[in-house]
Amino acid sequence: MKKGKFKLSRVLSLYIPLAVYFIFLLFPFYWTFVTSIKPEKELYSSLVTYWPNNTTLASYKKLFLNFNFLKPMTNSLLVAAVTTIVSLTVSLLAAYAFSRYRFKGRKLLMTLFLTNNMFPTVLLLIPLYAIMRNLGILYTPMALVLSYTTFTIPFSIWLLNGYLNDLPRSLEEAAMIDGASRTQAFLKIIFPILLPCIVATGAYIFMTAWNEYTFAVMFTNEASRTIPVTLKNLIGQLGVEWGMLTAGGIITIIPVCIMFFFAQKRLTEGLTAGAVKG
Amino acid sequence: MQRKKINLWPYLLISPALIIIFTVVFVPAVNAILMSFQNYDLRRPKSIGFIGLDNYIAVLHDQLFWQSLWKTVQWVVFGVGFQFVFGFGLALLLNKKFFGRGIARSVSLIPWVTPGVLIGLMWRWIYDGNYGVLNDILLKLGIISEKIPFLAQQATAFPAVIVTIIWQGIPFFALMLLAGLQGIPGELYDAADVDGANEFQKLFRITIPSLKNIIFITTMLRIIWVANSVDIIFNLTEGGPAYSTQTLSVFVFNKGNSLNLGYAATMSIMLTLVLLLVAILYLKNIFKNQEE
Amino acid sequence: MKKFLVFFLVFTMFVILSAAGFAQSNPVTVTHWYWADNPTYSATMQEMAADFNATNGKNITVVAEEYPWDGGAYSETLFRVVMGGGGPDTSSAKLTSTPLFTANELLANLDEYIANWQDKDEIEDSLYNTMKDASGTGSIYLMPWNTQVLYVYYRPSMFKEAGISVPKTYNEFLEACKKLTRDTNGDGVTDVYGFGMRGAKGGHEPWGSFIWARGGNFKDFTSAEAVAGMQDFIDIFKNGYVPPTATMDGYQEIIANFKSGKTAMTVHHIGSSPGMIETFGDDVDAFPFPGDVGQWTSMGDTENVMLESCENKDAAFEWLSYLATGKGQETWCTVTGNVPVSKTVQQLPVFQNSKFMKVSIEAAPVAGIYPILDTTTEWISTIWPNTIAAALLGQITATDAMKQLQTGLYGK
Repeated sequence: MKKGKFKLSRVLSLYIPLAVYFIFLLFPFYWTFVTSIKPEKELYSSLVTYWPNNTTLASYKKLFLNFNFLKPMTNSLLVAAVTTIVSLTVSLLAAYAFSRYRFKGRKLLMTLFLTNNMFPTVLLLIPLYAIMRNLGILYTPMALVLSYTTFTIPFSIWLLNGYLNDLPRSLEEAAMIDGASRTQAFLKIIFPILLPCIVATGAYIFMTAWNEYTFAVMFTNEASRTIPVTLKNLIGQLGVEWGMLTAGGIITIIPVCIMFFFAQKRLTEGLTAGAVKG
Repeated sequence: MQRKKINLWPYLLISPALIIIFTVVFVPAVNAILMSFQNYDLRRPKSIGFIGLDNYIAVLHDQLFWQSLWKTVQWVVFGVGFQFVFGFGLALLLNKKFFGRGIARSVSLIPWVTPGVLIGLMWRWIYDGNYGVLNDILLKLGIISEKIPFLAQQATAFPAVIVTIIWQGIPFFALMLLAGLQGIPGELYDAADVDGANEFQKLFRITIPSLKNIIFITTMLRIIWVANSVDIIFNLTEGGPAYSTQTLSVFVFNKGNSLNLGYAATMSIMLTLVLLLVAILYLKNIFKNQEE
Repeated sequence: MKKFLVFFLVFTMFVILSAAGFAQSNPVTVTHWYWADNPTYSATMQEMAADFNATNGKNITVVAEEYPWDGGAYSETLFRVVMGGGGPDTSSAKLTSTPLFTANELLANLDEYIANWQDKDEIEDSLYNTMKDASGTGSIYLMPWNTQVLYVYYRPSMFKEAGISVPKTYNEFLEACKKLTRDTNGDGVTDVYGFGMRGAKGGHEPWGSFIWARGGNFKDFTSAEAVAGMQDFIDIFKNGYVPPTATMDGYQEIIANFKSGKTAMTVHHIGSSPGMIETFGDDVDAFPFPGDVGQWTSMGDTENVMLESCENKDAAFEWLSYLATGKGQETWCTVTGNVPVSKTVQQLPVFQNSKFMKVSIEAAPVAGIYPILDTTTEWISTIWPNTIAAALLGQITATDAMKQLQTGLYGK
């Protein structure tokens, strides 16, 4: 174990690659942030400045004072959270069935769940709107939750199925031989080991719901609006409200990253080391 | 485990998913399939009628369709391919212990957390031919001698768009593969160390085979997702200049937006069939693995 | 017994009074959808709705909801929602989206309302005719709201440096593009371009002026005159008089390039003038796009429509007329700087004293629109930008490009 010694090989094989990755992944945001605090003259000059000569927080002020950004944020949060919970629950059940059982129609159903995602949404918009309207859930968060689950569930089933298949059956069988029921085996043995995968899948579902635009613009009104639609409002015919848009964007990214910071603790290694005895 | 009598359990477990998908997607999807056999143009609602395979024939003769299809192939191969490779690399790095790992993991997610509209704007600004920072950096490094209007000419527009989708997709693979890495027992690596294996051998002999299933599935899902994705391209170039960034899904989107739904439906069905073919290759492999 | 009679009387009176009161002040809600080009305009719309609600005296309440413009996808969102059975009572709209709505019978016919309207003569007949043309019927389905006439912004200081005066003919304009393109610091790289060309979606509007100047028109893009105009367009790109990013430059880019001094001239309308004045003060002015054999400039528009599904059409019309000729017209046009459709409002000093308004009015006689067919939206969004880009980049010739444009708009 490295006891704080500064190993060159570690720098080369770990820190430098990490740095390169993070520069690539994060530079656009740095640049966008810098753009949002530059005054317009500096923005469009021939000389590109990497840190503004003059900073202006005008856009941020505008965002908070004139614009109610809190409502879309809570709406987005609600929709994304509910979608994640519903999708995870439903998908986990189905994925477990596909993984641990062999039954008639299994392959067909799995393929069915895959193909439904291949269909472009633009064609489904009008009939979906009519369905939402008839169900009476239009302009409520439920409309979005229902639409989002239709494409998050198939993907999640496949993802969880994949993770489950990489976990050998011997795990539950060992427990069941010891007298546990299938449900207990699932809850006590599989679920804890599967937790990192559930976290990853849940994150994926959350992101998808958080960023979705096409359904959101049709199925929400001002009260139930979500963030992507609100941000689009800042792009009018006469150009982009650069500052407000990036300010809004940055503000939506930060809470999600914080949430994920706590969630990623579940992605720790060593959960299985020693747990599998055969 | 073979059971002689029919076990209702699996069906019960699947039913919630099935019910949701059925009610909300199945009916509109069938509707869309029916549209492809009709002259379904909402700009001329009075002439909607059954025209059999005419749409399909028209699509197959449409040069723009084939061009978009080829673009889609390139889009997927380079986009998903590089996303996977770089994402895998990042996953391996994030799996190691180091100070600030938690923060690193959360932060690496950011490209994926960003709304599509913001991604489009950010990268458009970076690629800008007059005030863009990419041009500035390349000029200062002496790599180019005059500014390149990246998004304004065919040769550079498509690669530029691909770089952006790679950027967006790296966190997805990093996250999914990282989760999969947790499931590999540490003892396998310990045993390999004892045998004197180096990093490469450990990677190719232990890590990758253990992740086989999840690699297959994530790449397959990502291929379907990227093939169908519209918002990155649309926000950057809307399919131009001169259709050079128009993949099939963008083509369908544009046609669907102009409400020529019958034609759009036909093209999307053909795209679905192509994706299905690709998927079948994967599925064969996956189902085979599962039987082992 | 007496108590009962009293109670009965009071009860009856209560019923009668409330019925009368109810009939008189039947509260009505009108839902209005709109897009806003920035948060200030959005706030203005909300203020207008509040003002209307407070002053209409007929117990009408307007609820104004904002939806994203999204590069024009606003119209599609509205369409899908109405087709799905929902939607607002009234909405802002663009002329080009009209065929879609009228083909599906989604708009309310306004003929009778306008015929009986006291402010009917406030609006030019030519505008009413444009509304009728847009619908392809002899009826009016759109209520005019405001217009924007495209003209050419220019930098007087740059004209002075290059030693030229404001172009009065098309050929002088082309010459100006050349003369204004300069390398100002002697490093061999062009620093200022003569013209800020718009090649992305929306660029068909300035482009049309080139076509008409040579004697072409929109009925036949393949005529020799129209092709000549197209060739001029390609030539100024090839010769480097416009920035090389032109193929993808949209509104944002041409304005940025003009404001930063990278271009000497660019085409837009009065909506962007407040920003111009803020940046340049006096060093910005405008002239109408000149002609030669012919002359044309684009008339941008925003109208309001009433949906056929609206249940309170009378109330909705009250709101529409407030916007067109009432206080709403004055408020909106003052804030946005757009050209009012109401003659009275046009006469207000704030409009008469604006130099850009003057140029708009000067160019108005030759202002027109593209043919509004059901293929127009796709032509504007996809076919025009991509065909033009291909021509500019030398992939196809001017003749081929015009053929493609003709087929794209009029079919085979």
